[in-house]
Amino acid sequence: MKTYNLAALLVGVPLIMAFSIPLFGFISKQLAKWITVLTLGFEFFFGLYIFLWHIYPFNVIMGNWIPPFGENLYIGPFATVLIILISFVGLMISIYSLWSANYGDISHFTLLFLMFVGGSIGLVSTGDIFNIFIFMEITSISSFALAAYGPERRALGGAFKYLVISSIGSTFYLFGVILIYTQLGTLNIAEIAARISQTTSGLLTFAGILLVAGLAVEAELFPFNGWVPDTYTGAINPVSATLSGIGSVGGVYVLIRIIMTVFGKDGTFVSTYGNLDLMTLIAILGTATVVIGELAALVQKNIKKMLAYSSMAQMGLVAVAFSIGSKLGAYAGVFQLVNHSIAKAMLFLIVGVAISFGIGEKIEDVKGLWYKSPFLTVTFTIGALSLLGLPLFGGFWSKFALVDASIQRGGWYDFVIAIVLFASVVEAFYYLKIVGYMFASKPTSTAKIKTPISPAVPIVVLSILIIAIGVFPQIVGGISWNAAYELTNKMGGYVLNVIPTIIGH
Amino acid sequence: MIDFLQNWIYLIGSMALVGIGLYIVLTNTHIFRIIVGLNIIDSGTNLFIVTIAWHPKSVMPIYTATNNLVVNGHVISADPLPQSLVLTAIVIGLGTTALALAIAVKIYQKYGTLDVRKIKEEDR
Repeated sequence: MKTYNLAALLVGVPLIMAFSIPLFGFISKQLAKWITVLTLGFEFFFGLYIFLWHIYPFNVIMGNWIPPFGENLYIGPFATVLIILISFVGLMISIYSLWSANYGDISHFTLLFLMFVGGSIGLVSTGDIFNIFIFMEITSISSFALAAYGPERRALGGAFKYLVISSIGSTFYLFGVILIYTQLGTLNIAEIAARISQTTSGLLTFAGILLVAGLAVEAELFPFNGWVPDTYTGAINPVSATLSGIGSVGGVYVLIRIIMTVFGKDGTFVSTYGNLDLMTLIAILGTATVVIGELAALVQKNIKKMLAYSSMAQMGLVAVAFSIGSKLGAYAGVFQLVNHSIAKAMLFLIVGVAISFGIGEKIEDVKGLWYKSPFLTVTFTIGALSLLGLPLFGGFWSKFALVDASIQRGGWYDFVIAIVLFASVVEAFYYLKIVGYMFASKPTSTAKIKTPISPAVPIVVLSILIIAIGVFPQIVGGISWNAAYELTNKMGGYVLNVIPTIIGH
Repeated sequence: MIDFLQNWIYLIGSMALVGIGLYIVLTNTHIFRIIVGLNIIDSGTNLFIVTIAWHPKSVMPIYTATNNLVVNGHVISADPLPQSLVLTAIVIGLGTTALALAIAVKIYQKYGTLDVRKIKEEDR
């Protein structure tokens, strides 16, 4: 068991800076924005340091109480890749908000944003099943407030809907956690994972269904994602980008950690303990999410609503990839999570720039954008092609691995992958429709849009990264393989790294 | 009967509270009533967590000269951990309620109503 207690700063610094932002706000409103950029830059470079110097996997131990007794943070390969992803996307959005967030008191926005990112980083690094609940509430309460932030009144309705669904979901999660606690008397993920077979099978199944129901709200899976379109459409654009680029990553992480590490039974293909195979349940929910999300996105007239439904569908794709249960499937899932987060955040930022320059939210309004702003058109095309999975763009490698993994699994996964590929064709149709509109008809007035430097920097960096991943997939591929190993070998990959002396049952 | 009630009343009560809360949230269209329903679900969950750590003959979980926590090899004290978890859950519930009420006030200022159906009509 390796310990590296300095990494507690990853969770501590954003939370401390978040609550001291009102103090900086007294001095200058601009300072509050720059503090966000600096804090997230620190997080990003700390994450890169952990990744490049191969410090992971390690534990952070609170107050010298070793893991089964005290609370710990466990930062393995999966947590490392997600910490880098979350802090990078957060950094880009905070640079973008230097220019865009100018509604009301800006220190409120930056406070909530930093709290959201800090909570998400805590969510992916904690090793305690009840702390997951606490971090989930930190992120979701700050995201309700973020979703309600902004000049438009429809944001309030979306935020309230999100609040109601998410609070009921987290209550279900708490119920599931307590049911497991009554069986095993521990809250440490590693100890629960090692002793999960000692529980009563029926109660474990019930707890599993409650946990999946609660976590599927944040992970945007089908019957629990009614909040997604309203919330994404109503919120201001940096918030939509945050919710889809960071919030859903945290939700999917917890879902996969619970299903594969805590409930998982190792084998060639991971299955779960209990009367019901939760991996199959996730596969069914994921497939339904993909189909319904893509078909709903196809008929949308509003571009933000379309991106919201597409975000839902991509999360379904991630869930399907993880539910295959093989190492290649988990690799595809991690890779797809990274690709989706980068590309969808970028699309929301581009739409935000376009809207602020007087282009409407309707799909017809983007007609002839090429003649007004070639920059926005080209970057939008890059993002859309990456989501479609065209070669030379990031999304290709993850979809390729997903198809490969499900063909290797065989059986009824052949049917699943057929549905998923059909849905991808639908996705290609509506994205290419927008891209076609952008290049096609020449508008009557060709007043040029000159994108300011502050929103241009994140858009350029994100689109270069998409192409870089497309050409050199090993940037993300190597650590995704390690993450896939961690997920599919729960004793060797997770439990023994946290509690070396425990005996699996 | 008394034994049955002593053992099960809180468990049944907590489940009933969660059911009542879910019913209120799902059937009401008034935002304030939905918030009350959320609060009832929270209370039910908290009661459930306290209940599973306790039984009628348990003693307090503090070791003193007269208070034995272990009798004949069986732990007879109440489990203190879920009670500390409940404290956290109560605080989180309070925060959620405060935010929900703040959003409800904003909704009333901008729409002039708290009825979900009317808000939906106005958004069209």
